[in-house]
Amino acid sequence: MSPRPWWRKLGHGSLLLVATVYCVFPIYFMLVQSLKTAQEDVFGNPLIVLNPTFENFEELFQQSGESHGYVGRALRRSYPVLDWLENTIIVFAGSVAVTLVVSLLAGYALGRLRPPGFRWWRRLIFASYVVPHTILFVPLYQVIVSLNLENNLLALLVVYPTLAVPFCVWIFSAYFQNLPRAVEESALVEGASRLTAFFRILLPMSKPVVVAAGIFALGTIASDFTLASILLLDAHNKTIPAGLATMEVALDELLAVAGINLMAIPVVLICAVFARGYVRGLTAAMVEGA
Amino acid sequence: MGRARDIRLAYLLLAPALLLLLTALAYPVGWEVWTSLTDLSPVNDHPTSFVGLDNYRRLSGDPAFWRAAANTVAYAALTSAVKLALGLGLALLLARPFRGRALVFLAIFLPWAYPASVSVIGWYWTLSPPIPTAYSVFMGNMKYAVDGALGGGAWAFVSVTLFNIWRGSSFIGIFLLAGINAVPPELFECAALESKSAWRRFWLVTVPLLKPFLALAVFLALTTAFADLANVWMLTAGRIVYPVLGTHAYWLAIHGGQFGPASALSLTLAPFLLAVLFVLFRMFDPPDQERA
Amino acid sequence: MAQVMMKDLNKKYDEVHAVKDVNLHIRDKEFVVLVGPSGCGKSTTLRMVAGLEEITAGEISIGDRIVNDLPPKDRDIAMVFQNYALYPHMTVYDNMAFGLKMRKFPKTEIAKRVGEAAEILGIQELLKRKPRQLSGGQRQRVAVGRAIVRHPQVFLFDEPLSNLDAKLRVQMRVELKRLHDRLETTAIYVTHDQVEAMTLGDRVVVMKDGWIQQVGEPLELYGHPANRFVAGFIGSPSMNFVEMTVADANGALWADTPGLRVKVPPASAARLGPYKGQRVTLGIRPEDLRVATGADAADYSFDTVVEVVEPLGSEILLDLKAGPNVIVARVDPTVRAKHQDKMRLSLHPERVHFFDNKTELAI
Ligand SMILES: Nc1ncnc2c1ncn2[C@@H]1O[C@H](COP(=O)(O)OP(=O)(O)OP(=O)(O)O)[C@@H](O)[C@H]1O
Ligand SMILES: [Mg+2]
Repeated sequence: MSPRPWWRKLGHGSLLLVATVYCVFPIYFMLVQSLKTAQEDVFGNPLIVLNPTFENFEELFQQSGESHGYVGRALRRSYPVLDWLENTIIVFAGSVAVTLVVSLLAGYALGRLRPPGFRWWRRLIFASYVVPHTILFVPLYQVIVSLNLENNLLALLVVYPTLAVPFCVWIFSAYFQNLPRAVEESALVEGASRLTAFFRILLPMSKPVVVAAGIFALGTIASDFTLASILLLDAHNKTIPAGLATMEVALDELLAVAGINLMAIPVVLICAVFARGYVRGLTAAMVEGA
Repeated sequence: MGRARDIRLAYLLLAPALLLLLTALAYPVGWEVWTSLTDLSPVNDHPTSFVGLDNYRRLSGDPAFWRAAANTVAYAALTSAVKLALGLGLALLLARPFRGRALVFLAIFLPWAYPASVSVIGWYWTLSPPIPTAYSVFMGNMKYAVDGALGGGAWAFVSVTLFNIWRGSSFIGIFLLAGINAVPPELFECAALESKSAWRRFWLVTVPLLKPFLALAVFLALTTAFADLANVWMLTAGRIVYPVLGTHAYWLAIHGGQFGPASALSLTLAPFLLAVLFVLFRMFDPPDQERA
Repeated sequence: MAQVMMKDLNKKYDEVHAVKDVNLHIRDKEFVVLVGPSGCGKSTTLRMVAGLEEITAGEISIGDRIVNDLPPKDRDIAMVFQNYALYPHMTVYDNMAFGLKMRKFPKTEIAKRVGEAAEILGIQELLKRKPRQLSGGQRQRVAVGRAIVRHPQVFLFDEPLSNLDAKLRVQMRVELKRLHDRLETTAIYVTHDQVEAMTLGDRVVVMKDGWIQQVGEPLELYGHPANRFVAGFIGSPSMNFVEMTVADANGALWADTPGLRVKVPPASAARLGPYKGQRVTLGIRPEDLRVATGADAADYSFDTVVEVVEPLGSEILLDLKAGPNVIVARVDPTVRAKHQDKMRLSLHPERVHFFDNKTELAI
């Protein structure tokens, strides 16, 4: 390849700049707001923060349960943010774990053991994405009630995986289908049982794909807001997104934005750490021998 | 390694996934299908009766339905196309190594990684600030202008659409990058020797090689097109009145208590999505591989 | 160390009958090579011995045990795969130690055995590396090392050298042979390369379409192929075949076809008697032809025209035409020939083969 002329480089560079700004700006904007005092929020420049403060974040956690003052004549309620945080961690970690286990098993079955019609099983599972979610929550609520999981975090552990499982099953089964069998067979000959071969050989060598599926599951689950707010009613039982929706935005805007970042930052960090693995895993799953 | 035993094991391993999908999806969908054939409503004083295809028949005569359907199709097609185009652009930008690529890569990953459940709230509040802030006057003017041009609720609708595109293009960009990584660089180099026109190369080499990824991306874009809208709808308790099938169904069910028609309404799209999916399956099904 | 017996072994996939009535007795310490064209069922046979493929019918025993229903891990075998099948996430050491760990060997014993194997194969320096940091040849050694640390009863090789370049292949071939001489473990080796088969095997099994064609020592296969397929498969360049009519003339049998007429050597004459007036296939290896001199009997000589000359250094391959029949001859490098030259060839009377046209069996 000949060196590219300067104008091509400049073009590429400016496109990169545009893309980066396009992707980052909205998040930057929210982050900036969460670092502002109420004063600056109303009167300052919306794009920058001159006196960054963590007071919004601190306030989030100062929720001993009682009201904490008045704005004008309105009572500012307080929110059990720590409970929400804990719930969120439980629900997210649990749902991702359930998703991974369930999809790994199914993916192995479809990609490796290939029961008759495995292709149609896989398609059927994937086709569950066409289900219209619009008013599904009405019967879904009935299911949850009949499982005695009303207002229980476990309800989300049943419902959330359904959002990610179809895609993850697809990824895993495509991956196992493409993966040469010899490595696993070699382990069998060496003295491993099927189970041992799966845990000692197949799983460790499939780490990127597990990461890819896990990140997809996390991203998908973390984007739900509707189900959480419908299925978790008790104020102490909410996840952060569901809880934020109950805030009096008119009064607590900055607090809410801080809450957004509180949840988002750990998720983003996890995603960032595994970002390379995510791409590598998707590649490995979709392309044989990659 | 008895084949029969393998098959039994396969069904055993499939069971948890199927069970999960059955409880959390199959029953609700069954309920919805059944309900769409009845006049079920919490405000009924008479027992629910079976009405056959009445709900569907009534819908097909309702101009509001057709408008919502048109909006829905236009919305899904438009957002998916834009997401795909932007995503492909982002992926191609990152295709070749350059200094700082890791950072740009993370930046592009960010919109999707940033949890939509909360970012959509932030986005919505930012675009329709509930209290006076430094930028709320500007936003108010925007809203006024857009609503004035497109009708009430348009601004909220447009803003959520933009959010959906913003986030979706990030997902598709990263997804297609995974596809591009799988293409051996020799192929691109070979193509560069074959044809001088970058445009032809793009259509003759890049697109066919990425076909399975593109097909999967199209489908995921279509099915997730309405997720953010639903989120905002919940958040604002239905303040977005711009009619698409989903919101219209909510409206009928929650405000009108008409579960039958609402179910019928929300089911109308499923067959079309299914049809699209079956066309796309052929492009991204993993090929049958003979073992060596 | 053990013998391996296959009795009426059959394998049917849904549509393919891949292995048909295979009967084979592999003796203790023997190195047996299965060879045949692609798709002939050699891998399938090997994988049934390994337990990776279900047996449709028949019986396999290793040592004194019938292993039909034994999972691979209990068969006490080791296998080397074509793509080496190393565990990508483990170091070379762990790759080699895996089988021993599975069998709960003590740590010191594992270290000792891996060390020994590494020394035999000359890979001591690589023990800490991951497979992707190795060259093809090194991976190959690791795969072999993994097989030998366990001192299994039987080694199974499925085309272990076919991913190596030509030079390395020859080198590894010699090493494998030396290794077998040293370890004396029963080995079954699958390849489609007949040179590998001839050089490595104590005995060679030629397969085609799922059937065993012939079992024998390499030179036996070369000298006395049981049928036309084996005759053509073993030897390179392969044997020349010419369809001819057996005719009686001057009190002797002659094989005759336009452009080519030779006497049936006395050794074959008795067996060819019943074929008088019928068509048979004559087979003669390129190396059993030479440029005729005055001393050669005219009965075994014929005229040809040179088509292509391929000098290989130590010898010359000539593509010739005798009438319409194409014939390849392998001659001394001193022979001067060029396109369209006329040339009289003479064949080695003891090394002429005849095959029945219908059954393709040697006559
Ligand atoms: N899993 C399978 N399902 C169906 N048919 C199979 C399967 N494995 C092998 N076969 C068929 O069985 C026959 C024998 O295959 P096998 O792998 O034993 O051939 P081979 O002699 O090892 O060939 P090669 O030299 O190409 O490796 C072939 O026709 C093949 O297509
Ligand atoms: Mg084979």
